[in-house]
Amino acid sequence: MPIPSYRLAPVVAAMAAFVALATTSPLGQQPPPTPQQPSELELTISGEPGTPPKFAVPDFVALSGDAETQAAARAIGAVLWDDLQFEREFYMIPRDTYGSIPSAKSFQEVPFDRWLELGADGVIIGFVQRTGTGVTVQVRVFNVRTRTSVFAKEYSGAASNPRLYAHTVADEVHQQQRGLRGVARTKLTFSSDRDGERAAGGVPNRNVKEIYVADYDGANQRRVTVTKALNIFPVWSSDGRALAYTSYRRNNSPDIYISSIYQGTPPETPLKGRGQNWLSSWSPDGTRIAFTSNRDGNAELYVMNRDGSNVRRLTNHPSIDTTPTWSPGGNEIAFTSDRSGRPQIYLIPADGGVAPRRISNESWADRATWAPAPYNEIAYSALIGSTNNIRIYDVASGERRQITFGEGSNESPVFSPNGRHIAFMSTRRGRSHIFTIGRDGKNLRQITTSGNNYTPDWSR
Amino acid sequence: MPKVSPGAGATSGRRGRGRRVASSLAEINVVPLVDVMLVLLIIFMVAAPMMQHGLDVNLPVSRRAPELSESRLYVTVPESFARERVVRLNDDRVRLDALGERVRQALLNQTEKQVFLAGDGAVTLQQLLEVMDRLKDAGVERVGIVARTPGPTGR
Repeated sequence: MPIPSYRLAPVVAAMAAFVALATTSPLGQQPPPTPQQPSELELTISGEPGTPPKFAVPDFVALSGDAETQAAARAIGAVLWDDLQFEREFYMIPRDTYGSIPSAKSFQEVPFDRWLELGADGVIIGFVQRTGTGVTVQVRVFNVRTRTSVFAKEYSGAASNPRLYAHTVADEVHQQQRGLRGVARTKLTFSSDRDGERAAGGVPNRNVKEIYVADYDGANQRRVTVTKALNIFPVWSSDGRALAYTSYRRNNSPDIYISSIYQGTPPETPLKGRGQNWLSSWSPDGTRIAFTSNRDGNAELYVMNRDGSNVRRLTNHPSIDTTPTWSPGGNEIAFTSDRSGRPQIYLIPADGGVAPRRISNESWADRATWAPAPYNEIAYSALIGSTNNIRIYDVASGERRQITFGEGSNESPVFSPNGRHIAFMSTRRGRSHIFTIGRDGKNLRQITTSGNNYTPDWSR
Repeated sequence: MPKVSPGAGATSGRRGRGRRVASSLAEINVVPLVDVMLVLLIIFMVAAPMMQHGLDVNLPVSRRAPELSESRLYVTVPESFARERVVRLNDDRVRLDALGERVRQALLNQTEKQVFLAGDGAVTLQQLLEVMDRLKDAGVERVGIVARTPGPTGR
């Protein structure tokens, strides 16, 4: 019997389908080549794939011979390196390896081959020249491989604080190269007993603490209150020009004071001493202040306008409600309450009216602060084991993570304005000092070295 | 396998003519073709699962993804090192001053902090130790000295 030809067709079709399937390998699905884009002027410096770009910042070159200009030139280079290292966006080549590389004589004579030999992708060259009343600082960022300038700026001003030039350059380089808001020009404030101790002849006097401000890296520490009284819990206004704090200077009764630290005017007392008021917290837009008061008999949360008008009660519970902190949008307030027995963190709308929502479940939790956008997180200190540690609560997911692990007592966290760092007080090196740490728990830096220092706040 | 009798159908229509004509086969004999193809089909079906190389996943994208490289790092100390103080890091000419930093950068993403050191036979032990000092400063944990096995003449 011959096989009729119509039986051949399905077999051939099946085999054709199989062969087609077998040859459809991943290699056969190559994407169409992307059309060539017209090349743009590339202004950002990149490293090898997967690694941060490597930067070198040699000492700036003084074009004038006087000692002040030369000291300023050295300081700017060192501080700039430190500022860039702080954000960890670049691999900063250690400065002690630059020794044999000759300094640039001008922007046209940069020894690029030597920087390339050291592995640098970018190098920041600057010149400092004395002018009539101050100095002029010229800065350029060079791409070492293409030998082109990707950033050029000139600053002029006083020579008294060369660190400010470095901070400004660092913030602008971070903004231009990484689109990142740097914190080099932000400031910290804290309370310290270092002067009270000195006045009492070396014996700590727990009733005298003054308010201090310092650069973010701990430089230029400066006292802003002179009261020989207890001044605690300083917080920055949103424009960074005023501090609100709790002071016991009048009748030993706590009240909220607002100091415009750059104007020399006497501090304002918006609440005029009615009741005992403490622990102020400035709203993100700077128009309102949340605080704790016992004016109605029990410690409750209140919100007022900056000038002390329109005082509104936010909580109403026989337990203690304290340490308010605003959400970045200004529509919610986190605070500490012991209404469930032990102090825990609660959230309440800034207009009140709703029962607070508990977000912590620790044996003891206090001093919450809200991270700025885009991080929707709340940091607080929690009793874990035998010591206080910093925990971060993710508001959206409800997850908690810990960034300090039992080294001393770590309390009172606050976020940097870009949310990437946290300042806190810790006893890990003996006395109570202010530290900063990355939000991943790395990159610890000690800010204060003398006295006992408490409750930092980071300017916006 | 069915028996195919080509004459049966072809001759039946010519009965009565009195002549038997040996006609040629009008159709292709597909049976062995199908047999071979079915065997090939089975072979490919068995072999196809074995050709998979791994699971197909979309890797997450991260700007800071470390490139885990296992590339070996060679430092070559040439005979001219005594005069020029220049070594070679893989293929780059590097001054001794910059060597430590370059090795540190190269080892950032390496789990094995090891470097292979190849020196010219004329390089003194003092010079080799200067290079090794730089490598140790850069965090190198293991330094391998590269040598070659003697040829038939013993050199």
